[in-house]
Amino acid sequence: MLELRDVTVPGRERPRLRGLSLSLKPGECVALVGASGAGKSTLLAVANGLIQPTSGSVQWFGEQRLRRRMRSRIGTLWQDLRLIEGLSVQHNLNTGRLAAWSWWQVLLNLLQPLESRPCAEALAQVELDASLLPLPLSSLSGGQRQRVALARLLRQNAELLLADEPLAQLDPPLARRLLQLLLGLAMPPRGLLMSLHRSDWLEGFDRVVGLRHGELLFDCSPEALSAADLEQLYS
Amino acid sequence: MLLLAPVAPALASQVLRISAIPDQNPERLNRLYGLLAKELSDQLGVPVKYKPVVDYGAAVTGFRRGDLDLVWFGGLTGVQARLQTPGSKVIAQRDVDAKFRSVFIANQSAGLKPFSAQNDLQQLKGKRFAFGSESSTSGRLMPQYFLAQAGVTPKDFASGRPGFSGSHDATLALVQSGAYQAGALNGQVWDSRLKEGKVDTNKVVLLWRTPPYADYHWIAQGNLDQRFGAGFTGKLQQSLLNLSPSQPRQKTILELFAAGRFIPAKDADYANIEAVGRSLGKIR
Amino acid sequence: MSPAGQLLLPALVLLPLLALLPGAWHGGGFDLIGQFLLAAVQPSTDPALIVASLRGIAVTVAVALWSWLFSLLLGVIGGVLSAEVVSRTLWGCSWPALLLRRLLAIPRSLHELLWGLILLQLLGLHPAVAVLAIALPYGALFARVVAEQLDGLPRRNLEALQLAGAPAPAALLMALSPPLWPQLLSYGGYRLECALRSATLLGVFGLGGIGADLRLALQSLQFHEVWTSLWLLAAVMLALELALARLRQRWQEPNRELLVGFAALLLLLLPSSQWLELRWQVLFSPWQWPEVLPLWDPNGWLQDWPQLIGSTLLLTALAALLAVALLPLLLLLLGPGRWPRLLLSACGLLARLLPPPLTALLLLFVLQPGLLPAVLALGIHNAGILGRLGLEGLDALPPQPAQALRLAGSSPRQVLLVAGFNGIGRSYLSFGAYRADVILRESVVVGLVGAGGLGVVLLESLSSFAWGEVLPVLVVYAVLTLVGEQLADLYRRRLLSGPLPREGCSPLANS
Repeated sequence: MLELRDVTVPGRERPRLRGLSLSLKPGECVALVGASGAGKSTLLAVANGLIQPTSGSVQWFGEQRLRRRMRSRIGTLWQDLRLIEGLSVQHNLNTGRLAAWSWWQVLLNLLQPLESRPCAEALAQVELDASLLPLPLSSLSGGQRQRVALARLLRQNAELLLADEPLAQLDPPLARRLLQLLLGLAMPPRGLLMSLHRSDWLEGFDRVVGLRHGELLFDCSPEALSAADLEQLYS
Repeated sequence: MLLLAPVAPALASQVLRISAIPDQNPERLNRLYGLLAKELSDQLGVPVKYKPVVDYGAAVTGFRRGDLDLVWFGGLTGVQARLQTPGSKVIAQRDVDAKFRSVFIANQSAGLKPFSAQNDLQQLKGKRFAFGSESSTSGRLMPQYFLAQAGVTPKDFASGRPGFSGSHDATLALVQSGAYQAGALNGQVWDSRLKEGKVDTNKVVLLWRTPPYADYHWIAQGNLDQRFGAGFTGKLQQSLLNLSPSQPRQKTILELFAAGRFIPAKDADYANIEAVGRSLGKIR
Repeated sequence: MSPAGQLLLPALVLLPLLALLPGAWHGGGFDLIGQFLLAAVQPSTDPALIVASLRGIAVTVAVALWSWLFSLLLGVIGGVLSAEVVSRTLWGCSWPALLLRRLLAIPRSLHELLWGLILLQLLGLHPAVAVLAIALPYGALFARVVAEQLDGLPRRNLEALQLAGAPAPAALLMALSPPLWPQLLSYGGYRLECALRSATLLGVFGLGGIGADLRLALQSLQFHEVWTSLWLLAAVMLALELALARLRQRWQEPNRELLVGFAALLLLLLPSSQWLELRWQVLFSPWQWPEVLPLWDPNGWLQDWPQLIGSTLLLTALAALLAVALLPLLLLLLGPGRWPRLLLSACGLLARLLPPPLTALLLLFVLQPGLLPAVLALGIHNAGILGRLGLEGLDALPPQPAQALRLAGSSPRQVLLVAGFNGIGRSYLSFGAYRADVILRESVVVGLVGAGGLGVVLLESLSSFAWGEVLPVLVVYAVLTLVGEQLADLYRRRLLSGPLPREGCSPLANS
């Protein structure tokens, strides 16, 4: 569903990505590891179409051009969340549905947020209470916001799931549960590509991709990963 | 605070400040009164300055406050100004002003035909009707007076009130466009716009000309003799009356005034206007 | 309801307005509108006229600058004295501040135009009168903002300084002035734009400057001359807006350039006031009340108030809704691209350039007199003002949420609606509520189009010098304005708090 071939993205001092190839099949869960600045976020930005590589090719669902309709099949969990301040939680969750809705549903939703039940279910999945739905986003804590962003991804019902360090602000037990949730989502036709700041949470992933200085270091199963590989990653 | 220090008031009072109500386009007013200021200055030997005013009421207030020495007023504003300014007096009018007229006009689509009997003004009941400025004599006061004589009050017009276009030209334009179905304006303005070809007679029709009344006039402050020397007011009046078509500059001035000559006038000539003004509540 | 929903809901006002349109349309002066628009590309280039227009602009700008300076002065003094925190620190009690605050409501309650008309009657026709007419209500308004800002600042620093034994005035100055400055400067800059518009409007009503030229030229249908003045005014207004927008970005850290610019401005102002004959001394000459004109007239109080007030309020409400609705609606219809944006900016500039009475006159060429042209004239003018703030607000939004929506497959219009309108919604609407207040006071200026209401009565009584009738109308206007201000405040507070706010995380903090 995602195919990167020889992708290069130039940067200020050195390329942010250099000759990188990667593929993701439906049902696959791929973890992206590397030191900060290794190119994880850049790779995810290429994967969701934000950045166009200067050379190499990207294919989504077998196509080179990313049409608007196709974009709704790609869901991103951003590092900076990108929720909309000034809106209630439910409105924020519903922004995940925009591409699927007709224009009158969009307008109606502005007056009175639609689909309360699916919204409440999405919140329940990320272990938040439905009573949060009418609250303004600004009244939530950092961890709550992160989970709202995840719930929005759930609402979008995308196939290609991209996540940029989604668990950073959560306490470890909760982070583990939500990681399981994300991994559980990645059943065909869905696939998951996710960057991780911890290398001790790799179980459950099908493959681990290591990046260093914008280049591919390894691409193997977690079991095949050696301690030396990890050491090289952060050196 | 230094800024706020008066700029030599003694000097300022040596200038004769003339002004006029803004009943025509500013470019014409500037040209006309610029010329007149030069002419008066040459004849009287004192500096004369034209101070433009953009509002009828402002002209009255300026005169009352003594900021203006000699003002070309309309009938109503002249009486208002004179009543509020003790000592001031009427000194001259144009030959046309003794017998001034207003005209009632209508848009062709209003279905009104020209008439000669004043009572036919009743046809205007229920129409959208426009006056000129609130303070205009020929564009508001006298038309309203003649309407009242025919039994039409402002409440009889469409939506229960007339509109005020602000000027004679605007009344003409608004009636011609059809925004208002009928309106009243200065007869002289109507005639000259007709002559200039600015009236589309397919769209607008002259309904009725009012009987004559006294309108525009010059009013001077009462203290000019003290400030400029004994007999100054008389000299000022004389120089206005002296303007004659035989001299080029004076001819232009008279043409711009649309007058043959200026003739003497006195307060009593406007007693009628005052009475009408009082009856319609425009003079208290 | 989401902010974007509240932003779009006022657009419903278009339904009754569109329903009224066929009945009011006469189209007879369509050629005049055509001539007016054509004249835009061929303004009169008569040198004498250009000189006169330049002089008119100079007077208007001088009036705007002077009135702005005085209003800042009045505002800072009045605001500091009417802040509770100052009063309590200096005198140990808060009633002097509260009393002063009530007193300041009086000059604020009358539109600068009403002040202008009153002072015009009392002092005569001088640009200096316009300066005073603008400075009084603006000063009182500014004082209110200063006081509110002061009282809204955290007091920890002040308490710390006081506990350390600093004398009260020094503690106030040290603790409260640094956080106050940026906000005041930004708001003060905006007031200068308002002052320029007000100075133009006052000119339309006889107090000199470019507004006078505009009115006379438009009333005598000299469209080429109108455009000479309009283009000059547009250049000045645009330059001012751009300069202030630039400065606003830098005002966070006051710098030397700014001070130098300010000093240069003052130096220019000093000689210009002489050259332009602003004649300050009229403000100090004894104020004459015309003895023949009684101020008290029992009959003046007998008016059909319900009808007058009703039609004024209807006009205000419709115009305010229209003003709020136009920008979001047009943006949605035209789409968020660069060209539509440019087109909207240009239309907005023209809309706020032309004083409402002149817009009303133009509208009468194609519309019958009545409520509709009045609503349109006021609505369009204020939409021009609100629209610019809205577009600026959109530009200032963080781009990331919009980007996220776009990448998730939303169309450009959906992105605008959901990320854009929701982002600016609260501040735009709270500004709209404030504008409604202004529109109420401005309703006096469109009496000419026959919409009725208090404005008609006021202009008629003024032209009759019937002060006994003017006074009651002014009192009613003042009461309406004060009530309107309270309502707008309530609405704004509700708007800013949002549903079920939690303590300590007011969205005001990030707006």
